[in-house]
Amino acid sequence: MDPKGEVGGSLEADAFRKLYPHQFYANFLAKHTRPDGRALMQARPVSVTPNAVSSADSSATAKLGDSAAIAGVKLEVAVPAEESPDEGHLAVAVEMAPMSSPDVRPGRPGEAAQCLAEQVSSILASSDVIPRQQLCIEQGRACWVVYLDIIVLNADGSLLDACLLAAWAALRSLRLPSVILTADGNVEPCDDLPQTSSAAAPEGVWAGRMLQLESQPVAQSCAMMGGKLISDCTAEEERLADTIIIIIVDGRGNLLGLIKAGGTAEAGDMIMQQCIEAAKLRQQDLCRLLEDQLSAATLS
Amino acid sequence: MEYVNPEGLRQDGRRPKELRQLGCELGVLAKAAGSATFEMGNTKVLAAVYGPHEASNRSAAASGATVHCDYAMAPFSTGERRKQGRTDRRSTEISAVIRNTLEQTIITELLPNSQIDIHVQVLQADGGTRCACINAALLALAEAGIPLRDMVAACAAGYLDETALLDLNYIEDSGGGPDISVALHPQFDRVVLLQMDNRLPLETFETVVELAIKGCKAVASYMRGQLLEHTRMLASARGFDKL
Repeated sequence: MDPKGEVGGSLEADAFRKLYPHQFYANFLAKHTRPDGRALMQARPVSVTPNAVSSADSSATAKLGDSAAIAGVKLEVAVPAEESPDEGHLAVAVEMAPMSSPDVRPGRPGEAAQCLAEQVSSILASSDVIPRQQLCIEQGRACWVVYLDIIVLNADGSLLDACLLAAWAALRSLRLPSVILTADGNVEPCDDLPQTSSAAAPEGVWAGRMLQLESQPVAQSCAMMGGKLISDCTAEEERLADTIIIIIVDGRGNLLGLIKAGGTAEAGDMIMQQCIEAAKLRQQDLCRLLEDQLSAATLS
Repeated sequence: MEYVNPEGLRQDGRRPKELRQLGCELGVLAKAAGSATFEMGNTKVLAAVYGPHEASNRSAAASGATVHCDYAMAPFSTGERRKQGRTDRRSTEISAVIRNTLEQTIITELLPNSQIDIHVQVLQADGGTRCACINAALLALAEAGIPLRDMVAACAAGYLDETALLDLNYIEDSGGGPDISVALHPQFDRVVLLQMDNRLPLETFETVVELAIKGCKAVASYMRGQLLEHTRMLASARGFDKL
């Protein structure tokens, strides 16, 4: 489609888009649409695939349009910290794969990757999405360390949304395996007990169980562009946006986080309300999608 | 440990000269010029190609494109969590091996002053990642439309329990026997990469290399089939098949 509504080849449209990106977008936004054909508050197609990698204890891939992230969980046993003897640990790392975008250089994690890791980690930690007591094997002696590694495979905007979705799906399908605490303080893996006899667990056996999440966190990125609010931005839209607002909600009507870092536009109460409503709807959609995927996986 | 049982079957149920299940998918990343996943059994890698674009070091690339390769393993790809990913010696060595192999395959002199970046990411490792990476990178290069002399297909073979074994998995790889990685230009019948560790009598060396070359040819014909299939799909999506 030609942004000016004139008859012209796609070459002119592409050149116009590169030379005058703001004008290019403004022409679309004035017609309440976006260059990829979406409505202003319409999200890109989402897909989430639990158990994508069998070498991980649990894993998931998440795709939002062209943005894609894979999360994998590895479990290790450690001694709990002295100040919290009945809690395990969660360690989150995010890596931007060099293939994710032409701008990412191999080597030390860049600013974007470190920010994402910090944001995902603080969302999962501060709101107690994972109750740490569940990760305790025996008070003061042994606990689980959950290493959550997220790799961004393709970066096309709204990366926190994609990373958090992959992380959530991986943790949601995480099963802590059964272990035996030996007399000399070692922890050894053991076979799962048959479910019928779980009441009479033998001495020293810590029965395996699914990790129970307290809430279902979902992030929703929105952006202000030329006075209009758009949701689920692509990388190009994020570059051009006047400001970016990210809302994180759980499924119980609570706000888990809100990120609005600078930008040239103000976001008033109305805008914030709109973002939060969008995030709530998004949370319900994604919850349904993930549960469908998980039940399909257990059936097959 | 017994790697080949009296019935002649390996631990994962394969016969000695049997490849693992191969799988691939082309065009998985929208932004890259070319991308592909490649699976050999439980080994799963993802490769992406960016470029050709202007070289960052013009003088080095004056006579032909320079190839950059970057290999990384996901922390959750192995049995034990890997703490170091990108900077260790093993990754650097594998990147160099992949780069050397592909430099021989790309017709670099057609692309002076330019640079091609190849990124490979191991998602799941179960032996033979080096070979799987070369195969995935080749598919990504082909999808990117970069001029190639020939296909290149890689496959490993080893020797355990007095039997030559094709396409070792992780358990067989760490079984103490030799592991020979071979990459082949199938049309020219030319070996581009040959790498071996561990000790092996000279007369068995040849049979094992022969076996690896046969494996490469099988991998090559699989990849050729997949590339043709992919091209046919693209052609029909764009309506060229009706012309």
